[in-house]
Amino acid sequence: MAPVDAVARPFFSSPVSMNRLRPPGAVPEDVFAGKCIRCGRCVEVCPYHSIVPLDARAGVYAGTPLIFAEQIPCYLCMKCVQVCPTGTLRNITQDETRMGLAVIEKYSCITWRGEALCRTCYNVCPFKEKAIHLDQLRPVVDERHCTGCGLCTHGCPITVSPGKKAINVKPLFAQARVKW
Amino acid sequence: MVTRTKDSNRSRYSAYRFLVQTAAFLVILLNPFANYYLGVNFVQGWYQSLGIGKLWFVSPLEGIESILVSKLIYLPLLIGMAIPVLLALFLGRVFCGWICPINYLSEIIDRFRRFLFRKRFIKDWFVLPKYLLWFALIGELVLTMVLGAPIFVWLSPPGLVGREIMMAVFFRTLAVEGVVVLMVLTMNLVTRRFYCRYLCPLGGLLAFLGSRRKLVVARKEPVCKECGMCSKVCPLGLDPLNGESRASYCWNCGECVDICPDRTLGFAWRTRPMEDFILHQAQSDSRPRDESE
Repeated sequence: MAPVDAVARPFFSSPVSMNRLRPPGAVPEDVFAGKCIRCGRCVEVCPYHSIVPLDARAGVYAGTPLIFAEQIPCYLCMKCVQVCPTGTLRNITQDETRMGLAVIEKYSCITWRGEALCRTCYNVCPFKEKAIHLDQLRPVVDERHCTGCGLCTHGCPITVSPGKKAINVKPLFAQARVKW
Repeated sequence: MVTRTKDSNRSRYSAYRFLVQTAAFLVILLNPFANYYLGVNFVQGWYQSLGIGKLWFVSPLEGIESILVSKLIYLPLLIGMAIPVLLALFLGRVFCGWICPINYLSEIIDRFRRFLFRKRFIKDWFVLPKYLLWFALIGELVLTMVLGAPIFVWLSPPGLVGREIMMAVFFRTLAVEGVVVLMVLTMNLVTRRFYCRYLCPLGGLLAFLGSRRKLVVARKEPVCKECGMCSKVCPLGLDPLNGESRASYCWNCGECVDICPDRTLGFAWRTRPMEDFILHQAQSDSRPRDESE
């Protein structure tokens, strides 16, 4: 990464990264900061307190909602998408949600390393057998069905480094470009 | 002339307004507790966007910024803005005077100062031209579009009060941007409602919408001793005797109506276009009383 980019990072760059996700139905990061009016209704309505509003350190993204997936994941109750007044969180259904994609770190996952028969991610997945299925007792993610809710990340017993588990949600869809 | 007792003479708009403001403040004060501890989600948000069941209110400035920056129209957003915009079109800046938590807190501070210094009126130490409000509105909209992010909606003091209460209840912490609220309340000590007068873009937008509003404070009786108490009590530093209560800046709080010893001032519903009204007022003011009757 270029040094210029590293300097510009705090103010203008998106806080969305691995396990740092927007709530369900979020528009791409391209327009998120402009469309969200920071009213905090999604934060207040979330019954699991998954959604956290960012503060001044997030630059232009201050006040926008973020989910720290490994701490409190999204339980896909879809209450936030019904109260967003600006359409920043589009009113979509559970299975349409694409907050990101769960990716298994096969060198860290104890099942893939052959050290244990853990299948926590498979057990906690709300779309079990579709989003995560077992292949020879090892978990495999299907990107066609994974909603990126982060329940697997939250449940995973292996912490590789702070904020990083053996299965992580990568917000692939947040990087889409918007066409006017 | 009929001598009336002091109490029956006065209107009580200030008392009603204080009740409305207290109720409006209690909504954003108690609602986070209901959300967090009771799981009651019937009401969400604060005075940036407030949802009461399926009835949504969106602050017009926030909505306009969201549309301007994202260049996308979302119908529920427009419908949410409808009630505040209609309120501003007909009644002017009543949100500022009757609901806004910043004005509420400033007013409590003012009441405390008057009590502390045993003074009836508070002096404004630093007065700027009133049209700065329009520069604040335009500058803020342009800055928002340049940056691509609605800065005011994040720094908006009325919204910040609600957000800080929510942060305190939900996360047991306060966000750093709450300093803005403290700065605004400190400026209020120098000049009453300094922020509201010159810097608030939301107040500017509501004033712009309400520039042809129906509800105004006007001279109802020709009798006026020109005691000047109305201009001293006005928290925005307006002079109702000069017709400034009919200008865009007035937020219809009714302080001047309450203080007027002869009940010369009163709320009036403007039925004619503005120019006719002012002309009519000026004529009736200049003419001697016996001639007009």
